Amino acid sequence: MTSRMMTGLVRSELRKIVSTRLWWGLLLGAVVYTAVQAGVTAGFAGVTLSTAQPATAGLDTAAGIRGVYAESLFTGSYILAMILGITGMTGEYRYQTITSTFLVSPRRSRVVGAKLAAHLLVGLGYGIVALVTALVVGGLVIGVRGHGLGYGVDRLWPSIVLAVVAVGLWTVLGIGIGTLIRNQVAAILIGVFVIFLLQPLLTLGLSAANLDSVAKWLPTNASSALMAPGVTIVDYLTWWGGGLVLLGYALVLAALGIVLSVRRDIS
Amino acid sequence: MTHIVEVVGLSKMFGTLTALDGLTFTVRPGRVTGFLGPNGAGKTTTLRCLLGLLTPTAGSATIGGRAYRDLDDPLGTVGAALESSGFHPGRSARAHLEAVALAGGVNPSRVTTLLAMVGLTEVADRRVGGFSLGMRQRLALAQALLGDPAVLLLDEPANGLDPAGIAWLRTFLRSLAAEGRTVLVSSHVLSEVEQTVDEVVVVSHGRLVRQGTLAELGAGSRAVLVRTPHPQALRDALPGQPVEQLPDGRLRVSGSTTEGVGHALYLAGVEVHELVAEAGDLERLFLDLTAEQPATVAS
Repeated sequence: MTSRMMTGLVRSELRKIVSTRLWWGLLLGAVVYTAVQAGVTAGFAGVTLSTAQPATAGLDTAAGIRGVYAESLFTGSYILAMILGITGMTGEYRYQTITSTFLVSPRRSRVVGAKLAAHLLVGLGYGIVALVTALVVGGLVIGVRGHGLGYGVDRLWPSIVLAVVAVGLWTVLGIGIGTLIRNQVAAILIGVFVIFLLQPLLTLGLSAANLDSVAKWLPTNASSALMAPGVTIVDYLTWWGGGLVLLGYALVLAALGIVLSVRRDIS
Repeated sequence: MTHIVEVVGLSKMFGTLTALDGLTFTVRPGRVTGFLGPNGAGKTTTLRCLLGLLTPTAGSATIGGRAYRDLDDPLGTVGAALESSGFHPGRSARAHLEAVALAGGVNPSRVTTLLAMVGLTEVADRRVGGFSLGMRQRLALAQALLGDPAVLLLDEPANGLDPAGIAWLRTFLRSLAAEGRTVLVSSHVLSEVEQTVDEVVVVSHGRLVRQGTLAELGAGSRAVLVRTPHPQALRDALPGQPVEQLPDGRLRVSGSTTEGVGHALYLAGVEVHELVAEAGDLERLFLDLTAEQPATVAS
């Protein structure tokens, strides 16, 4: 295995991603979702909506600014990035291109490795585009509300960089899910179900049972930890711990997938 | 570099279904070998075992003495076009081949050459979703040839090709074999490959039925069947040639060709209602095989 071969495999995977229309459809979705997220976050930052609900951090605070830029870029793009990862693997089975793929590269785990690398790169690209969106839309709304853009606030840029990294890691997580679950529709539904339903319920339930120390290991909570360097929220992992946990999920799923699914007959 | 393709005692079970049952045969370089059998005989399963896509239950399938998964340069050693090998409908022919070339360490500039070779230059940048079956077959063939391989394994390559395409494929495969390559072409239609192949491997129910050259298997029969209202006139027109009356009323003239018999009868002014070459042994064998309902299913 030379590095030239691995580079070829990664370039092949990149060529596959950009040669169909899915990647920019998902990217468009990420831009729209991030724009809404940044606009709403900036628009309602520090506003008291009802007496029952405390106001979010204001635009005059570092946390408020970080919310508009870093958290919005992540929240607006990570699910679409995950779907890109899932389809990167499951699409091969769906359209039976997996036959060609494994003919060119019969050592199948290398294909998974190349997909992880290629999708990480594209996922980081998604994060950067989402960042630009959040800066533009969030900045506009902040300006309209008469505040400063806040580019110099405490820990903003580390948060932004790590939020972009988190989006990349969710793409890798998508490859992990798709490697384990061959069926594209099932893999996407399960991914979305876990994020939107299972995780919040688990977090709530674990909190209620005083098990926050378990809840912090869930992928979304690990992502929040990753994006918040130096923020000491009780029972969150450290930022690098969160990053490692996310990467760990992706690699464990991919490894399981290689053992349980990828080695199976292709007929 | 030439490679022998060797299948030894190959068995493959899908659950309780036996797709291959101790299949053994050899494919040699420098000739086109037809891989024949009715649908469901196990042809595709054999090719998929050879290509490392299926793990055999027993036996071995090797290329130049090595399993496909152990080849250093798979794309440059074996070119394969499988029937169910898919293309992403939203990807262009060129992008598909470029992705394969990049992964296989082949210079992407070869893609343009191959697209021209299989006659897809004009549609190279169109999405494959709009391609006809024949165009997909050409694209699959281009992919198989991308690495300039010593061995070609083609699954039903004539499927979906128009007559001109089949004629082109025939010439093309012959020239590839003439360059010393090992060429294996599967088909469930004997007539499709009869004029292309030097040798055939006939399988049925996952077992070898026969292997040999066309001459050994008596593909080209030297008998002519004639229907005429004047049998005696026919015998007189063909002195010294054995003529035999068949139960269906036709006369069987052995040791001759349709041209020879036709000419003699024309000169003698004998009225003829039907004149055909008798089916060879191989064709009869093949008809017997396809007439029965195969117990296994294609995979």
